[in-house]
Amino acid sequence: MKFVCVLCDTPMKLEETVGPVEGSLSVTFACPSCAHRIALLTNPWETQLVRALDVKIGGRNTPPESWEFVKAMLAARREGALEGAGDVAAPEEGSAASTEPSSRAQAEGLGAGPRCPFSAVANRAAEAASLTWDPSAEERLERVPDFIRPMARQGIERFAVERGYTRITEEVIDEVRGTLGF
Amino acid sequence: MKTYWDIVGDGGSNVAAQVEAQTARLRGRMAHVRRKVAVVSGKGGVGKSTVTANLAVALAMDGLRIGVLDADVNGPSMAKLLGVRGRSLKAGPDGILPPEGPMGIKVVSMDLLLPSDETPVAWHGPAQQESFIWRGMMEVNTLREFLADTAWGELDLLLADLPPGTDRIAHLTGLIPDLTGCLVVTVPSEVSHLIVKKAVSAVRDARWAPTLGLVENMGRFTCKHCGASEAMFPGGDTRAMAAAMALPFLGSIDFDPRLAAASDRGVPFLLSHPDTPAGEALTRIARTIQAWMEAE
Repeated sequence: MKFVCVLCDTPMKLEETVGPVEGSLSVTFACPSCAHRIALLTNPWETQLVRALDVKIGGRNTPPESWEFVKAMLAARREGALEGAGDVAAPEEGSAASTEPSSRAQAEGLGAGPRCPFSAVANRAAEAASLTWDPSAEERLERVPDFIRPMARQGIERFAVERGYTRITEEVIDEVRGTLGF
Repeated sequence: MKTYWDIVGDGGSNVAAQVEAQTARLRGRMAHVRRKVAVVSGKGGVGKSTVTANLAVALAMDGLRIGVLDADVNGPSMAKLLGVRGRSLKAGPDGILPPEGPMGIKVVSMDLLLPSDETPVAWHGPAQQESFIWRGMMEVNTLREFLADTAWGELDLLLADLPPGTDRIAHLTGLIPDLTGCLVVTVPSEVSHLIVKKAVSAVRDARWAPTLGLVENMGRFTCKHCGASEAMFPGGDTRAMAAAMALPFLGSIDFDPRLAAASDRGVPFLLSHPDTPAGEALTRIARTIQAWMEAE
């Protein structure tokens, strides 16, 4: 799957991958010419198809471990069946272990080697924790369908953090809608 | 506006390179395995796994370094048949170290990972009801990892015991790089022949590897009291079927209750009963395969 910015006729670059959260991946692409961003939101079945292919959206930062796929995807495993093999976290919904963010620099091969895959998520979570939501904004968010609500929340909070906002109001949500097309 | 084919790359995930890396890993590992043979049938219940386990033992007894991949992810039996059930797999620097059964046979089976007899293979997913959509891909990727990430070492032969179902043959034989050939197992019944003929066609249509020949299992039964020998299944002439399909007929293995009992104990029949008609037939078939391997 590829994305092209219709306005610039330029291939879009993968900017960030978040999730799976409640079975949904949020993959953000940006146009290198006009900086227009779009987010591809997968439903749980689409996410599962990607998992079944054993490929990482956003690319791989580290080589795969032995039997990584089986260890992560098999629902029930005998205790002690694999000695000395590092456990691979099951892709439980919303777990940090199943989240593999990738920056634009990494996507373009500009990164300086492997990075901690969780630091970006952890930093963002800390910044988002300092935000306050107006009740009316929370009410607006409640109207978003259940399965994409956590991603919508993340997207709005990220938007707010990037702009230095400390409070999320209905106006901020309108701004997000206008900019990101949520 | 640009089309899909005008754009180089996929914007960042590099999925094509990830798939190429998987294939390279698999090819690298399999380069240390001289021959790879898939044991297929299409039909369930013909004793394919029992034949595989005992052929592995027969070949190992002749000094060959043998590995067995239980490719039946959902109905794994090879760990039981080769007496390694419940053993642990160890992670080594070169991959997962498989347990060794009789004569040093290396075994990998999904059964080694399952927590209990009653536990079916289930995958993490949004809902098991719709798992038919992605389950096939899970199984193929599991087998790819079993092949690529297991520290098989240098092997003379890897036997892959495939699950029943003619549809699986093309998927799974296509997964094994440079597959040497397929061995087809049947029982001498018309019903079995009906399905097995389709399996032979599937192997031929897939064009991955030649069909090495046809093995008849449970051909005859000898009464232990009076010594009379009679056909287990009236009607099916496997030798004629092999001739009609231009396949080598590799031999017929008698039904022997001791074979089933040995399988249940996880002790290969050939080790304890090499001089029985069934044991001798298995040894002859193994020698034919070995001669074919040496001639190749």
